[in-house]
Amino acid sequence: MAYDPISVALKFGFLAVLYLFLLVIARSAFKDLRRTTSPAPDATGFHSAPGFAEAPGGVDAWLVVERGGGLERDQRFDLIGGLSIGRSKDSDVQIEDRYASGLHARVFERGGRYFVEDMNSTNGTLLNGATLKGEAELIDGDTVQIGDTEFRLEVQ
Amino acid sequence: MRSGTRNRELAALVPVALLLTAGFAAVFAQESSRLGNLSVIYGAYFFAVCLATHIYLRIRLPDADPYLFPLMALLTAFGLVMIYRIDESLARDQANWFVLGLVLFALTIQFLRDYEILERYRYTIAAIGLLILMAPRLPGIGEQVNGAYLGVKVGPLSFQPAEFSKIAIVIFLASYLRENREVLIVGARRILGVTLPPLKHFGPMLVVWGASMFMLVFIRDLGSSLMFFAAFLALLYVATGRFSFVVIGMAMFVVGAWFFATTVPHVHQRVEIWLHPYHDPRGAGYQILQSIFAQADGGLFGKGFGQGLITIPGAHPPAALLPAAQTDTIYSLIVNELGLFGACGVILIYLLIAARGFKVALLANDGFSKLLATGLTAVFSIQAFVIIGGVTRVIPLTGVTLPFVSYGGSSIVANFVLLALLLLVSDRARREAVQPAGRDLALGVT
Repeated sequence: MAYDPISVALKFGFLAVLYLFLLVIARSAFKDLRRTTSPAPDATGFHSAPGFAEAPGGVDAWLVVERGGGLERDQRFDLIGGLSIGRSKDSDVQIEDRYASGLHARVFERGGRYFVEDMNSTNGTLLNGATLKGEAELIDGDTVQIGDTEFRLEVQ
Repeated sequence: MRSGTRNRELAALVPVALLLTAGFAAVFAQESSRLGNLSVIYGAYFFAVCLATHIYLRIRLPDADPYLFPLMALLTAFGLVMIYRIDESLARDQANWFVLGLVLFALTIQFLRDYEILERYRYTIAAIGLLILMAPRLPGIGEQVNGAYLGVKVGPLSFQPAEFSKIAIVIFLASYLRENREVLIVGARRILGVTLPPLKHFGPMLVVWGASMFMLVFIRDLGSSLMFFAAFLALLYVATGRFSFVVIGMAMFVVGAWFFATTVPHVHQRVEIWLHPYHDPRGAGYQILQSIFAQADGGLFGKGFGQGLITIPGAHPPAALLPAAQTDTIYSLIVNELGLFGACGVILIYLLIAARGFKVALLANDGFSKLLATGLTAVFSIQAFVIIGGVTRVIPLTGVTLPFVSYGGSSIVANFVLLALLLLVSDRARREAVQPAGRDLALGVT
């Protein structure tokens, strides 16, 4: 036990270097995080984070916000994988509209064409001003209205 | 940016080598009461190996995450010092495995530069992963350790297939969910306020659940089973953003695990030991109790390197005070010798690796890369949780290794392959993030 002081010194030295090392890495990780954080345009989940948008096939149609819903005008949602619209947090496009149901409608692509479907909502969906029954095809410029919220389909 | 990234890696490797040297010096000082230059030689060797890997990364993956490799090297350093302190010859083996692991690491980077190719062979990869997972039950080559079928022994070589199949299964799940995440989201319905995945796409979820339950019964290993299923849920959550899926999955696992814990004797016994270790303190409960005592004995700063007791002094035949110290309970030994601060340090290393790994996933530009990075990080961190949780009696103790620290060739080698994949994803993601064109395109939509 003649070397006890050395052992103790080594032990504390080891712990000190270890923590310094971890501190430096943690700090740089925080810095990195601040630098690369892009503002998340929606709060509906990771699945619409940048990156997933570039699914094979490419994006060629968007749902563009015209007005209402607590959304910014001209905000765009890509149609890759389809979009659910509703008041619930689980919707891809979450809208604040007292006439909207939790899961109100969905817009999706099938065989190169676009469709909107009302998901048995309480107050219904308007397609170009007319009540939508079940699903209907959407073409470029069509408007979809849910309560006081209006969207427009834009095809590239 | 490029050289900056790698310079940071180089700078981080220096303290890692210093820590290894200090660790060895402390062990030597304790064991032979003399301070030679052997620890410096070992430290230099270690640094040389890390430096070679670093130079390789500088050439091959100049933009990859700079801290993942140093963090994992630090874990290896911890492992080498601790294993050396238990048994010199085991440490020599471990050092060889470390070098072999780095060779495989380099080969993976060399041949899987376009890792999308993995997506094309996903069913083959999944099949191989599941087959080797079942190999321990085959007569002749299977090995049963403490009632669980975890090892395969062919001639002098033995390995733990679960370590490799975890990577295979993550690759498969990442690829599968990349393709099917859309249908899982769009087809989801709300029933009684719970979002349920569409019934026909519920199938794969049931298959994975079935597979992990099957592992529980067939391989009798709760740890691996938990590790695989938790990684799956993490991937499912990231792919769909639906927390309800995770809750449903967890409920399914708990129900299944509870059922088998009451019907399969081996699993039942493990749970019994976990809940009531004092029923048989000198038999079944010995390992977990000694593990906890060792940790408590460490105090705040530990007893110092080489000062913990692993075998009972003067006992004939030699009896272990801390059973399986080089594998299952290596974490307890670290806590015993470095105390609460050392323990927090080790856990911090794993947390930082997890943070870096998820960061890689955040930066990645395509679905497969995102999910692959997430899955690999998740399975790695959960493995650490399963064994640390096991020796601290948070969950039943199982024979999963502490990644990069525990003694074991399969574990080291497989985890270096995992690291290689993570760095491959990271390199591409960070390179694309630097080029603004690709980045803007990705951000413009949403």
